[in-house]
Amino acid sequence: MSARLVPPGARELPALTELRLEVRAFLTEQVAAGAFVPHVDTWLTRWDRDFTRELGRRGWLGMVIPTEYGGQGRTYLERFVVTEELLVVGAPVAAHWIAERQIGPSLLRYGTEEQKQAFLPGISRGEVVFGIGMSEPDSGSDLASVRTRADRVDGGWRLTGTKVWTSGAHEADAFFALARSAPLDPARRHDGLSQFIVDLRAPGVTIRPIISMGGDHHFNEVHLDGVLIPDDRVLGEVGQGWSQVTSELAHERSGPERVLSTFQLLAAAAQAMDDGRLPTDPGLGRHVARVAALHHMSFAVSTALEHHEDADTAAAVVKVLGTTGEGDIADYVDTLTASGWALDEELDTLLRAAILQRPGFTLRGGTNEILRGVIARGLGMR
Amino acid sequence: MTDRPDQHEPRQPHELAAPTTPDPDLVDVLTGLFADYRATRSTPTAVVDLDRGLWRRLEDLGLTRLTGSESSGGSGGGWVDAAALLGLAAAAAAPVPLAEHDVLGGWLLEAADLPNDGGLRTVCRPDPSGVALNVTWAREASSIVALWEDRDQWRVADVPVGRVAIEERRNLAGEPCDTVEFDLDDLETGTVVAHEIGEQFHLRGALARSAQVVGAMERVVEVVLEHVRSREQFGRPIGRFQAVQHLVADIASETALARAATDAAVARAAASDWQDPGMLFAVGVAKSCVGHAASVVVRGSHQALGAIGTTLEHELHTLTKPILARRSEYGSLQDWDETLTALASSAGHDRLWTLITTGRAKPRRSDA
Repeated sequence: MSARLVPPGARELPALTELRLEVRAFLTEQVAAGAFVPHVDTWLTRWDRDFTRELGRRGWLGMVIPTEYGGQGRTYLERFVVTEELLVVGAPVAAHWIAERQIGPSLLRYGTEEQKQAFLPGISRGEVVFGIGMSEPDSGSDLASVRTRADRVDGGWRLTGTKVWTSGAHEADAFFALARSAPLDPARRHDGLSQFIVDLRAPGVTIRPIISMGGDHHFNEVHLDGVLIPDDRVLGEVGQGWSQVTSELAHERSGPERVLSTFQLLAAAAQAMDDGRLPTDPGLGRHVARVAALHHMSFAVSTALEHHEDADTAAAVVKVLGTTGEGDIADYVDTLTASGWALDEELDTLLRAAILQRPGFTLRGGTNEILRGVIARGLGMR
Repeated sequence: MTDRPDQHEPRQPHELAAPTTPDPDLVDVLTGLFADYRATRSTPTAVVDLDRGLWRRLEDLGLTRLTGSESSGGSGGGWVDAAALLGLAAAAAAPVPLAEHDVLGGWLLEAADLPNDGGLRTVCRPDPSGVALNVTWAREASSIVALWEDRDQWRVADVPVGRVAIEERRNLAGEPCDTVEFDLDDLETGTVVAHEIGEQFHLRGALARSAQVVGAMERVVEVVLEHVRSREQFGRPIGRFQAVQHLVADIASETALARAATDAAVARAAASDWQDPGMLFAVGVAKSCVGHAASVVVRGSHQALGAIGTTLEHELHTLTKPILARRSEYGSLQDWDETLTALASSAGHDRLWTLITTGRAKPRRSDA
């Protein structure tokens, strides 16, 4: 039935809950010990290599990477509960987020044996940190219009162009860059794109900060000036870049980070209502209900992906609803406070950060306008 | 920082997550049955009465007693199957009291160990003076199952319709939704049932209504899709316009969220036979998501269908009116959002996530 957009739900069994509680106990301990201060949108804004390495030591990174490549050989469902627990507690997970979510699975699927051996163990230990270079100054939602050029040279390629909104590039070791390796054919614009593994310390790479409206530095402009990429750092097949970057989108779009970016604010608001610092208001229950339903929906998509079922449309549904909801939480709490102040340092800090980060929620990883188009396609309307 | 914990045993996906889908054979039977019903029914009317022919067909298939125990003449079905039946019947706008007769009435009779002759039942909770408002299908029933709070205990009475006074009314959907006045003697002599029965009744009613509303909303999405694919303006189907695509995407997404919330509550109910202490939260999540989705779906579907969707002859109102009528039963949307707010604020900062994942703010000892 075309009206059913999302795979049927599944119930979490005790073996999974056990892992959830193990991660939760560790995180509770870390917060109590002051190892990190819980925050919002930490998968973009809180970078802590020591914490990332500790997760690697505990076997909570590279969870879906097979053990022969230094990973944990576990399931997407186990990865799901670990990431949920990390996000709800507002842990500093930005350093490994891209590598763990996208780079590892892409390398596993498209990488050569040598590339897998070279990068996957380091990703799983939390030691190798990756970014991803997709958008450009003139290419946002229309990704196929990228103009970064890959020119064939002896033994490899030279990359020339500019990538923008590259999260954490100033701290990362490498990134995947999508570039045009053959001239644009307007009739087949998805052809001629390729992915390259770029060492961010290589000659010709210049990284400049793009400062966000709150004054923080998370994004960068990465300028590539004839950067030499040896043949063994081409990812997958030359000319297949488009299908490679789009094949993993369901994982990127359906995860709990599309729902839980402001969970710490929601939790602080619940506490403030209980303490009488915020007025009791049924809007809290409404937002809590949506988060709970999205938790089930995101888990259902994860279950489908575990069974290698197509879930592109379902992932778009999770992302539209989840990112709208996490932003609405920020706006909701703002409407409850007098003069934009709750007169509570913890709540104010979380609220301000959430309001400033909110515009990005419904932009990154495919804007909601693009995703509604994906949903419409899934419904057979285009 | 500690050493890496011992290597875990590798787990297979089936050890980690259990699917909660209804019996596929049952779904096949129901899909065929209701497709047939839709194809042969008369055009929509403003007033909707019980379809006795359909009721008999459902009876013959054992579907009117789907959740009754086999020893009491029921089919022994669980909540997952019952929710599928309620949803598909609602999608067909079938005027039959499946929720009242079986899921609620039949259950109460069994809980009170009262005989069930299979005659058509509806169900209600009369106030201390013996009056119950908004009793769906009362005039069509042979007997009304009353759940009555008698001081600090709950009683269940199965009262023949001849012993009550009925003031006939209709709800927004045009269905019988009567005021029923009981003789207090009939209620006072009802069978005392466990306290949890009284508490569960409201939750079971709310979840049954959620299952019905979601089923109806899924059909609305189909109706909208059929329309925007076939209706042409400016030389093309209106579904080709991006504004319309986004409107429909929002309707479908809200419906999917309501479905996820309802299925999760149904799965929890089925897995624990309603004993899970997280049921109040789970049902609240379903009721809240379903209720808010209804606003988006009703508004958006009528917008997509244009003026034709506002006419009596069109199918749309046979879905949207019951959606609105049922979302407010067994607690208004506001009531349920307030209940969730109370649960969330008493869970507080540190237990909100535990509440969301387990339905309980306080962990059981085994949860650490």
